[in-house]
Amino acid sequence: MVKSLLSRHVSRRADKLGIATAALAAVLLASSAGLAQTRNDTIVYGNVAGPATLDPYVGSSTTDLEVMHHLFEGLVGMDEGYAAKPMLASKVDASPDSKTFTFTLRQGVKFHNGKELTSADVKASFERYAKVSPNASALSDVEAYETPDPRTFVIRLSKANAVFLDVLKSPVYPFVILPAEQKDKPAREVEAIGTGPYKLAEWRKDSHLLLERFDGYAPDETGKPADGLVGKKTADAKFVRYRFMPEANARVASLQTGESDIIANVPLDMEKRLAGRPDIVATKLLGCQQYFIINTQQSPTDKPEMRQAIRAAMGVDEMIPALGRPAKRSHAMTIPGGEYYNGDLNSQYYDQKNPKLAAELAKKAGYKPGEKIRFMTTAAYPAFRDSSLVLSEQLKEAGIESEIQLVDWGTNAANMQSGNGNWNISATSFCSNPNLGPQQWKFMIYNFPHVKGDTALDQNFDKFYASPELANRKAAWNEIEKIVLNQAYMIKVADTGNINAYNKNKVDGFSDYYINRFWNVKIK
Amino acid sequence: MARIILTRMAHSVPILLIIAVLAFFLMQLLPGDPAVLMAGDGASEAAIQEIRTRLHLDLPLVQQLGSWLLQLARGDLGSSLQLNQTVVSAVAERLPVSASLAVVSLAITVPAGIVLGVAAAHARGTWLDSLAMAVALIGVSVPSFWIAILSVILFSVTLGWLPSAGYVPLSDGVGPWFQALLQPALVLALFQIGFLARMTRSAMLDVLDQDFIRTARAKGVAETGVVWTHAFRNTFIAVLTVVGYIASLLIGGSVIVEQVFALPGVGRLVVQAVLTRDYPLVQGSLLLFGFIFVLINIFTDILYTLVDPRVRYD
Repeated sequence: MVKSLLSRHVSRRADKLGIATAALAAVLLASSAGLAQTRNDTIVYGNVAGPATLDPYVGSSTTDLEVMHHLFEGLVGMDEGYAAKPMLASKVDASPDSKTFTFTLRQGVKFHNGKELTSADVKASFERYAKVSPNASALSDVEAYETPDPRTFVIRLSKANAVFLDVLKSPVYPFVILPAEQKDKPAREVEAIGTGPYKLAEWRKDSHLLLERFDGYAPDETGKPADGLVGKKTADAKFVRYRFMPEANARVASLQTGESDIIANVPLDMEKRLAGRPDIVATKLLGCQQYFIINTQQSPTDKPEMRQAIRAAMGVDEMIPALGRPAKRSHAMTIPGGEYYNGDLNSQYYDQKNPKLAAELAKKAGYKPGEKIRFMTTAAYPAFRDSSLVLSEQLKEAGIESEIQLVDWGTNAANMQSGNGNWNISATSFCSNPNLGPQQWKFMIYNFPHVKGDTALDQNFDKFYASPELANRKAAWNEIEKIVLNQAYMIKVADTGNINAYNKNKVDGFSDYYINRFWNVKIK
Repeated sequence: MARIILTRMAHSVPILLIIAVLAFFLMQLLPGDPAVLMAGDGASEAAIQEIRTRLHLDLPLVQQLGSWLLQLARGDLGSSLQLNQTVVSAVAERLPVSASLAVVSLAITVPAGIVLGVAAAHARGTWLDSLAMAVALIGVSVPSFWIAILSVILFSVTLGWLPSAGYVPLSDGVGPWFQALLQPALVLALFQIGFLARMTRSAMLDVLDQDFIRTARAKGVAETGVVWTHAFRNTFIAVLTVVGYIASLLIGGSVIVEQVFALPGVGRLVVQAVLTRDYPLVQGSLLLFGFIFVLINIFTDILYTLVDPRVRYD
């Protein structure tokens, strides 16, 4: 009797524990099996994060774009020197009045689903772009899309736009082509089917993403190999595995141990950890620019003299070490070597470091001693926070008081866009704009400092868009840059960049570019 | 027992409702607009407004709360604004990672914390007690991200014993799964061991002063028997309570370790959701965490009846 009770008791305990163990096992095992890859056919790349979306029309962050440009292609794209070149088009004809653009599509291009690309897909893609993309205003002057035959696509504009192809080459919110069947898919709900050299094999958010070579890829045989985002692309590695590693130590350690072949965003102070390894190469690309944005709609920086006082107080040499990333002095809003770079033309507005002048200008602006200039910045990007601290000290030397408000980056970005949050100065960096030209700058120039009623700026932008000759566009840009810097809508800090690192004994053909590319990269 | 579980579950409904309302208002207190974040840099005001309208973020707060509660009443936790998936599937996708980390970490924490706590209590006032409590204090005090970085440099980079980061699912094999989790679990366990050891020591000290312990010793029971059979068994309820609490913390509270070791767990999911103002995901995840806490508490209560037959709920 006792034995029977005991055994029942034990059995009930075992039942309860058994159910709990089974439930736990089910939770632990709830994951799908991965694809078979080996280290010999897979490039392993470690970056801070993964894409938030694979819908190219809403993709704007580098982490989105570096995956998207392997999956999708546009009619035109940018080459190594950031100029517009045909990609899915074999030829582009622009009418003399810059209102009609005719694209002849390359033959034999296939989507990852096996379907051949036609002009109907191109038209459907542009129509979807106009519906879902935050950048849809770029197509606001489109009067009509025409598809006279399956290989010809025509865009007619209502207004001349001499830089329309430059607009289409943008790698941000890229104008890439999706199969026509996806035309009515809402934002962020498309399937990742493109014409790129790699197709999506697996995506585990917060963990990793796997691309697999697309065997049906039709490369542009006429292009140079790996020419920016265009040219002849070859998927040498069968797989590319993106690992999402937010912690810099983890990324660096993964390269040191051989778990990753290439890593991005190595902090400056960690670069030395790689120094003793002859097989590891660290590269620096100064493709971005950091600025202070001055809010023109918030007192007292609504007065030009006050903004100019802040600019006059700023010294760059003290600020660069605070950025904690590769940085170089430069006054220009474009990258040296680009077609709109204008040498020393507007350098007088840079690195003035003149507290006396700053104090005079502040007085002229009606600044009252003790009045606080409000910085809004974020600890998420130490470069923004620390350079704000340096500027705050420099303002103090000119007798200008300030206070720093730290918020998370989401709030910072949202307030910068909306103008809310009672801020006078905020910091940010731009990566695509300095490379891609004035048409890419326009939105930021107007919206971040909340510029209103600047007719000279408006006129020069109008002139820029209406000028078919590059020389006239350059002249208009020179004026635009002068206005922005002189009015201190934005104050340039420096050209900045990131450090990538890779193991040269493992990969061959990797080179720095605006975004990291893995076509034409071989595994040794 | 089933009746007890059902009653407990029913009692949890008001708690979950309070969590739901609090989570809703806490998110609203944060500055920032998810529509702006979703639209990205350079988006026009019209594009931002379109997103706001589509996601019903333009409705009055009370109306938003009301429709969310109605949605909850239908058993729907909603969908993430950023991830293009439901809250339940987003959490379910990451739960195996956090649960795996919690299991391995608990498997290290429980024996180590108990042995350390019992040893410290038994050798009260000696160097062993001081050493055990110093180890516990270090575990509780040293920031886990610092320990994690040092651990990676030692075990991954210098010795090459363990992978530096990443998660391998259990379905890919127990060996790789365990190897990927061992280092983060050890780092996480270090803090919990300290906590458990201190609590165990304190519970043991209470029991070791009791008359029945003296009686056991007087009867000639071996010291091991006194400590483990007579003393420790009487602290087990207290220890189990602490273990249940630690298990609850481990499910959603290992954000830093998940971040450093690039583990795609629920902690990281929620932090990311907060940063991107993904309201439904934060609210839904907090509610799910609340539910998991309730389940762990019920499970702990059931375990009480197993370890101590005197505990009866009926």
